[in-house]
Amino acid sequence: MNASYPFPAITGQENAKKALMCVLVNEDINGILLIGERGTAKTTLIRSVEAISGQKEIRTIPQNITEDRLLGSIDIETAVTGGAIRMSPGILAEGNRQILFVDDINLLSEEAVHTILTTSETRRVVIEREGFSRKVGTTFILAATMDPAEGGLPSHVLDRFDLCVCLDSIEDEELRIEIVKNRLRFEQSPEKFCAGYDGDVASLRDTITKAQERLPYVSIPEGHLELISNLSMELGISGQRGDLAVARTAKALAALDGRDGVVFDDVKQAALLALEHRRGETPPRVPDIPPYPETDEPDDHPQGDTNTNAGSGNGSSHAPPQQRQQHEAMESATDTGTAETPRDAEQVFGIGSTFEVIRYLDETSKKTTRRQKSGRRTRLIGADRSGRYVSFRLPGNNKNDIAFDASLRAAAPYQRFRKNGDLAISLTLSDLREKVREKKTAHTILFLVDGSGSMGVRRRMVAVKGAILSLLTDAYQKRDRVGLMVFQGTDARLLLPPTKSVDVAVRMLRSLPAGGRTPLAKGIVEAAKLLTRGRYAAPEENKTVVLLTDGRGNVSSGRKDPYEELEDTAQKVAGTGIRFVVVDTEEGYPRIGMARKLACDLEATYFCLEGLDSRRLADSVRGLIYGTG
Amino acid sequence: MTDEMPVYPFSAIVGQDDMKAALLANIIYPSIGGVLIRGEKGTAKSTAVRAIADLLPQRRVVRNCAFQCDFLDTRNLCTSCRERIAEGEVLEPVTVKMRVVELPLSATEDRVVGSLDIEHAITKGRKQFEPGVLALANGNILYVDEVNLLDDHIVDLLLDAAAMGTNFVEREGISYSHPSRFMLVGTMNPEEGDLRPQLLDRFGLAVDVEGEKDAGRRAEIIRRRLAFERDPAGFCQRYEAQQEDIRQRIERAKELATHIEPDEKLLRTAVAISLLLGVDGHRSDLTLVKSAIAFAALEGRSSVKEEDIVTAARLSLPHRMRRQPFEESRMEFETIRSVIAESFGGP
Repeated sequence: MNASYPFPAITGQENAKKALMCVLVNEDINGILLIGERGTAKTTLIRSVEAISGQKEIRTIPQNITEDRLLGSIDIETAVTGGAIRMSPGILAEGNRQILFVDDINLLSEEAVHTILTTSETRRVVIEREGFSRKVGTTFILAATMDPAEGGLPSHVLDRFDLCVCLDSIEDEELRIEIVKNRLRFEQSPEKFCAGYDGDVASLRDTITKAQERLPYVSIPEGHLELISNLSMELGISGQRGDLAVARTAKALAALDGRDGVVFDDVKQAALLALEHRRGETPPRVPDIPPYPETDEPDDHPQGDTNTNAGSGNGSSHAPPQQRQQHEAMESATDTGTAETPRDAEQVFGIGSTFEVIRYLDETSKKTTRRQKSGRRTRLIGADRSGRYVSFRLPGNNKNDIAFDASLRAAAPYQRFRKNGDLAISLTLSDLREKVREKKTAHTILFLVDGSGSMGVRRRMVAVKGAILSLLTDAYQKRDRVGLMVFQGTDARLLLPPTKSVDVAVRMLRSLPAGGRTPLAKGIVEAAKLLTRGRYAAPEENKTVVLLTDGRGNVSSGRKDPYEELEDTAQKVAGTGIRFVVVDTEEGYPRIGMARKLACDLEATYFCLEGLDSRRLADSVRGLIYGTG
Repeated sequence: MTDEMPVYPFSAIVGQDDMKAALLANIIYPSIGGVLIRGEKGTAKSTAVRAIADLLPQRRVVRNCAFQCDFLDTRNLCTSCRERIAEGEVLEPVTVKMRVVELPLSATEDRVVGSLDIEHAITKGRKQFEPGVLALANGNILYVDEVNLLDDHIVDLLLDAAAMGTNFVEREGISYSHPSRFMLVGTMNPEEGDLRPQLLDRFGLAVDVEGEKDAGRRAEIIRRRLAFERDPAGFCQRYEAQQEDIRQRIERAKELATHIEPDEKLLRTAVAISLLLGVDGHRSDLTLVKSAIAFAALEGRSSVKEEDIVTAARLSLPHRMRRQPFEESRMEFETIRSVIAESFGGP
C-alpha cells in the first residue's frame, strides 16, 4: 500500500513539510491547506505523509463525492436482506483518526467544503437526513490542496484552515536537476527508490511519535501568549482562530524539537504558517455600495457617504452573499487601519485613489445578480441532466433524472413489508428521488461600445480591446465568451462574435474603426437581439452587456426623438434577463449625466471610470460578474 | 463494437510527421503523459488517433480484473484485486492489447467515474460498483475528441484521476478505488476556445497540425482515402507490411528507451530551457527529458542527440508557455535552439 513518493525525497518546500509534520504531531490543529500552481508537488507531499504518520491512513475525498458518501446514509444491504435499519457511515466518520485528503478543494461544491470544514472543527458529523438524526464524533487530520489559477477560496473559508502554506516552484537550477533525477529514478523502479529512503522515513516516523508523546507536556510561557496576540493584532487579524492556530503550531514545533517549552523562534515559525493567509488582504478594488435608494436623485456623488456605511457593515442584511463577503473584507480592512475611511466623494474617487469605481446597483436588477455566490465560478442548480450530482430531492415534473441510489435508500426500510416478486427490492412511486445537479454556468459578456466620433474613441477602443483580451486570458474564466459590438454611423456592428478563444479575439480585433454619429438605441437593441436569439441565447447562461457610452444617442432609427427612443428601448430591454453594465465615458464638466439616466432605465449597474484603461475595466467587469476584485 | 470495422492504417497517413512522432513517442514512453493535437477540421487528427489502435503493444494485466490492473504493479491494485489477495488468491497474468478508449463529450459524470450497479442492487439487494470510462481507460489511451468542449465538471474528474493515477469513487453509496493510469490524447480546434491551464498541463506533448499545402501531396491524400473507402479491407492489407514495420519499430524502441540513461547534460539542458521560458512546475522538465529519450529510441539510437532535444522542446514546451494578452509574438524558437546547442552541445 506504500505507493507514494517518499516524504524525505521531496526536494525543498521546507515550510510545507514542517507544517505537515506539525499537523501530524498536534491533532488540535484544524486542517492544512497547500496552495500552489500545477506541478509544485502539493499532491505528492500530502500523499507522502501516510508513510511517516505511523498508524494513519489517507482517505481521499474525490471530486465525484456525493452527500450520502460524505455524511453517511442508510445501509441498503442490511435493510433489504435483514430488515435492519442501520446507518452506513460516510467518509467523514470513516476518516476518524485518519487523514482526510481533498485535492483541489476550490473545485469542490461549496456545500461539501462547508460540511468538511465544519466537521473538522467541531469534530462531529451531524446527520439529519433520510430519517436519521445522529451526531457522530470524528477527529481527523484535514489536508487539502488548491491551485490558485482555478479560482480562490473566499477569505472566511481560508480562515478555517489553521495552517496554510504557499508552494513556489523551485527556480534553483541544481535543485531542479535533482528533482528531475529523483523523479525519473522513482518512476523506473519505485520499490528500489523507496527502499533507499526507508531509514529516513523510519526516523521521521520516530520523531513524530516522540513529539506526539511529548506534546501534552509542552507549555507556552505567558509572555509568548501575549506575543502571539500582539502579532496577530499587528497583522490585522480580527478572529481568534489565528491566535489559537499559532499556539497549537508553536507547541508542535517545540515538541518536534524535543523541548518542553515554546521559545520565541517556535512562535515566529508558527506565525508564518498560521497567519499569512489570514492577513487582511489588500482592500477590494471595487468598494461595495448598498442598493441605491430609488427616491434619491442622482444629482451629485452621494455614493461616497453610502460607501462609508457599507464599510461599517450597515445595509448588509439585504445585500446578496457576494456583497456581504465584500463587507467582511471591508471590515477587516477597516480594522487594520490601512484603509482610509472615505469621507467625501472627491477624495475617494479622485484619479489615482484606490477606489476609482463608482458602482450603482439598482435594487430592481437583483434578479440577475442574485445568482452570484462567492468569488469562485458561478454555480447553478441545473434543470437538465448535465452537471455534477450533488444531492437528491423529491421529484418535480422532471422524472427522467432519477437518483437511483437515493430511491433505493428511500425504499429500503419498507422491504420487509412489500411483496418483491423476483426482485430483492421493490420500488414504488413514492420512493423515487431525483438528482440535484450542480453546474458551473458560463457567462457571455458582450462589450457594446460607442464608436462615434464624439470623444476619446480611440482610447476607449484600445481599453476595451485590452479588457476583452484580459478577460479571455484570465485562467479560470476560460469557459466564458466575450464579444464586442460597436455602434457608430447608423448601424451596430458585431466586430467580435462572442468567443472563448484568445487567438480569435486577437485576430479579429486587430483594427478597430472609430468615428461617426451615435445610434445608441440601435446598439442596445442589436445587443439584446444577439443574446436572446439564436446561437448565444442559451437560457441558463449569464449574459452581460457592458455598455461604454456617454449616453448621448443622437441618431434615431425611426422618426422619433433619439432620446425618447432610447428611453423606450432601454425600458423594453430591461426585462429580458440580460444584465447591463453601463460604463459612463462622459468626461469633463459640466456633466449631463445621460449615461446614468440610461443605466436607471436599463436597470443596469453603473460605473464611472476616471481614466479609462483596460486593466481597470477588466477588473471592474470581473468584480461585477465573479464577485472578486 | 467498431472493432470489426477496418480502421484507416496509420502508415497510410500522408505527412503530419510531428503528430505521428508525438503519438509514437507516447506509446514508447507512456509516462510522457499524452498528446494534445490542435488543428482545423479535416487535418487527419482523429484518423491518426484511431489508427494508432492497430499499432498498440500488448500488456500484462491481472486475469479476471474489470480494471485490467497492471500485473507487475502490485502497489496499485483495485479494491477487488486487493480483496482477492486478502482472501488468499494468487493473481494470474493475462496478456491483452492496449487500446483506445473514447470519451464522448456527452458522457455523464456517473459513466465517467462509474456508479452504483442499479440492476444488481434491485435484483440482489446488494451494492456493487459499475465501472465507468476511467476504469476502461486504465492502462490504455483515453481519447477525447474536441477536448476543449468537454464540460467543466467532467474535466475536474479527469484531472482528479490523472493527478493520482487512481480513481477514488465515493458516490451513490459506493466507496471504491481502482487504478486509472491512462495516456490522455485530445484533439481540438483552437477556434472553438482554449483549454483550461490545468488540463493543458496534463498533456505531455502538444502538436499543431496544419492542412497539407502541397498540391501533389493533397492529391495523394484524396487518392488513398478514396481507395480506402472503396475497399477498406484490401487497402489495409496493402499497408500491412508497413504497419508491421512500425509495430516492430515500437517494440525495439521500447526496449531501447529502458536502457537510455538520462545523463547530466540532458537534465541540465532541460532545466535550463524551462527556467529560460519560465514555465510553471517541474512537469515540463520531466516531459522534455522523457520525450527526448523516446525520440532517440524511435530513431533506433541508444543515446540522446541534440536533435532529439530540439524535437522534444518543440513538442513539449509551447503549450506550457504563458502568453500575455498583448504579446502576439511568442518567443522565437531559435532562442530555445541556441540554448540547447549551448547547453547540450557544449563541453
